[in-house]
Amino acid sequence: MLDIHPQFLWEFALVPMHHDQPALSESQAVSRRALLAAGGAALLSGCHKRLLPPAEEGVAVVVPTQRATWIRNFNPYFQSQCRWPGVAGIYEPTVIYNRARGKFVPWLARSWRWENGNKTMILTLRDGVKWADGRPLLPSDVVFTFELMKQHEALDQSSIWKHLNEVTRRGPEISFAFHHPFTLPALFLIGRQPIVAQHIWKQVKNPVTHADPHPVGTGPFNQILSFKPQMYEVGANPNYWQPGKPGLKKLRIPAFGGNEAQALALINGEVDWGAAFLPAIDRIYVSRDPKHRGYYFPSLEGTVMLYPNTTQSPYDQVVVRKAISHAIDRKTIVRVAMQGYTRVADATGLSDLYKKYHDPRVLTEEGDHTIYDPHKAASMFDAAGLRLGKTGFRTLQNGAPWVVDLNCVVGWSDWIIAGEIMVKNLRALGVNATLRTYAHGAWFDKLQRGDFQLSMCWSDGAATPHSFYQRLMSKDTLRPLGELAENNWHRFKSERADELLDALAATADAQQQWQLASDLQREFVRHAPAIPIFPGPTWGQSNTIRVEGFPSKDHPYSVLAPYKSPDQLLTLVELRPTGTPPLCDNPGEGAVDDLPGLGGPQ
Amino acid sequence: MKFLARRLAFYVLAAWVSLTLNFFLPRLAPGDPASALQQKFQGQLDPEALSAMKIAFGLSDEAAHVQYFLYLRNLARGDLGTSIAHFPAPVSEVIGTAILWTLFLAGLAVTFSFAVGTLLGILSAWRRGSWLDWAPPLFVFLGAFPYFWLAMLLLYTCGFSLGWFPLRHAYSNTLTPQFSLSFMLDVLHHAILPALSIVTASLGGWLLSMRNTMIGVLTEDYVTLALAKGLTEREVMFRYAARNALLPSITGFGMALGFVISGSLLTEVIFSYPGQGSLLFEAVTARDYPLMQGLFLAITVAVLGANWLVDIAYVILDPRTRR
Repeated sequence: MLDIHPQFLWEFALVPMHHDQPALSESQAVSRRALLAAGGAALLSGCHKRLLPPAEEGVAVVVPTQRATWIRNFNPYFQSQCRWPGVAGIYEPTVIYNRARGKFVPWLARSWRWENGNKTMILTLRDGVKWADGRPLLPSDVVFTFELMKQHEALDQSSIWKHLNEVTRRGPEISFAFHHPFTLPALFLIGRQPIVAQHIWKQVKNPVTHADPHPVGTGPFNQILSFKPQMYEVGANPNYWQPGKPGLKKLRIPAFGGNEAQALALINGEVDWGAAFLPAIDRIYVSRDPKHRGYYFPSLEGTVMLYPNTTQSPYDQVVVRKAISHAIDRKTIVRVAMQGYTRVADATGLSDLYKKYHDPRVLTEEGDHTIYDPHKAASMFDAAGLRLGKTGFRTLQNGAPWVVDLNCVVGWSDWIIAGEIMVKNLRALGVNATLRTYAHGAWFDKLQRGDFQLSMCWSDGAATPHSFYQRLMSKDTLRPLGELAENNWHRFKSERADELLDALAATADAQQQWQLASDLQREFVRHAPAIPIFPGPTWGQSNTIRVEGFPSKDHPYSVLAPYKSPDQLLTLVELRPTGTPPLCDNPGEGAVDDLPGLGGPQ
Repeated sequence: MKFLARRLAFYVLAAWVSLTLNFFLPRLAPGDPASALQQKFQGQLDPEALSAMKIAFGLSDEAAHVQYFLYLRNLARGDLGTSIAHFPAPVSEVIGTAILWTLFLAGLAVTFSFAVGTLLGILSAWRRGSWLDWAPPLFVFLGAFPYFWLAMLLLYTCGFSLGWFPLRHAYSNTLTPQFSLSFMLDVLHHAILPALSIVTASLGGWLLSMRNTMIGVLTEDYVTLALAKGLTEREVMFRYAARNALLPSITGFGMALGFVISGSLLTEVIFSYPGQGSLLFEAVTARDYPLMQGLFLAITVAVLGANWLVDIAYVILDPRTRR
């Protein structure tokens, strides 16, 4: 019953509802974000009379995630449980992958390099960084942070010790020795790990259940000023290592249990930085104050895919998978289901997150099966022996009826609309397809066990094409039918892909990386093991009436979505009271090196 | 007294049954906490993080009956376990943040609704044909609306458009909880809209049930006798008619009071009220078994406790049960 309530609300609202919003810094999603209230606001726009009390100068009200109650937990090892901006804001990582720019940005580490045949990564730590208690950040803190993850498996959220052999200190440098050559993925995984203070954490009895109520961090906002279940405040670090930053005095983070209150707060202009899904955002939100209000939804998540179960006939045939792909009208899906907030995917499946690896030649040479072409799809079905039978529907090669179930999730209405369009597209070609919606637990369970024919789902949104394609094509991620698979639900492996993936993980040469990523795209387009639909957007709203310096479409130095860790840190250090000068010339590029000539990022 | 002792024994048995159901029912639904987390993050959380989380959460693959006895043992020690959605906070601490707000909001609303509804019921039965006749149809009409819909309507009109009441939370964020008049007034100001949605939706029920029973009672001989004896109208209405007519309503009130602890789920969600309902909603979506068990336990204890109080009230109101 509880699961059904929100949908029920949305039937009144008559606005599309989005599924749970991902939020890396919080376990609770910014969920079910289309809003009755917003729909009502659209109908009755112009009714609101109340103006809000002005927030004090230098205070930003941020809603990174939707959650009914805040519980005081700043343990940065648990990305999903740590209160925002704990992981990247109170604590800080060594290297940030700026997903909007597609580049690694030095942070607590000044530079990095590889040695020993790419089996050792060296990070050089920055000088002059201080913990909140005034003690200096030392290379031994970094070593300790990783040692703790070795001792407590539960803290090692990236399973980095699967690859690591040892972490040692060499003067101002920290050396990470791997079992095998490990480059890009290593920099991403190690770089984003928040660093904790050894002198504080060595006294913690059980770091796994430690709620870290009084965090001692190096970040731009590292003072917990107040903490109540319905709101907490985080104050600026007066001794931050980036001179003149941060520009704000404090962050105020209110708890919102439901969409209605969150939407009304946004529309009312009480929130400076939000992460909600609002339907018809231009009309409902921006139009009330177009000068100050903006949004920026870059497609920097993984791509939403239609997964065919490649262990079943006829989805084990490449031609059938490609024919299904050709049959889908993605433009309509993006316009109707996604309200134009994203773009159509191409056959590489790469979202803008992987823009710099994207190779358009692969599409021209291999053919882009995501182009809507029902005639071609029909002839491909025919060629595969799935011909129209007497009933008006296509039959399998052996003459048995071909009945297709497309699985989706109850209540995720954008996906459901997308699914309905796909089913309509398939039925137009004589495919007896039906949309099946399940409660999310049941849907995901079926997907994980491989008990489905076609199913919608997300794909990986990590920074490197390595993990993206590993989770789509590698034997390492393949699980037998019936066993719970964490990804590779379509159950596909390719030896060629594994060779390419191993080579990609082992090279530090950018040119080679690009070429290997291109070859992986070719392999993926050729076999079409999963059918890309649209890249997932990141959600972010800004209101510059009190605070400015946000990333935007015109100034895309980072993502606007506040829940994206560690990217949020790039924005946190740039925010300032409206009307004050910008804090630096090159936001999103990382800290300006305090000692020029000592080498920056490669 | 024997009656009350017998009832007590029944409640102990009922508690055990519901504790057992609390344990098994959530686990029958497909999915587990780690998968629920993965769905929330939609591909942003590494699969590796999930196995680490499973270790941290202490999710074991032990047989259900072993876990069940462990659960009972921990419960006997007063240990409700660690919440998963709010990891690593203990369940008791998580519930502690919400329970008083729920008791205040829903308790206030239910009591107010019962008192006013019953009083209107008494009066409208006594004064049939007067102007009070509009009350039953009006409140029954309002009661036909789902309470969350009323909540949204109130939020939008009185909160957002007119700006008379705050849009969310239990008190202003600029204040610190303390025993001062200004803080208490602020809390009341925040409680009015959510409480009003519950009161509006439930008042009609109390009114109608009281009115109907009351009309039946008014035809009894002892009411006529009391009037004939020359007792005042007020005395007959309350001490003779209403006291007898109140019994079924008291039962309902006991039940309603017990369920107060579960919070008014959607009202709390809509107004971002930091109560038990919001917690329960989060616990269910996150498959937070320990928190669900803790919340259901609180509800069970409250419902059974309230029924026990109703039994006592019966003993006081109805002399026949004292035998």
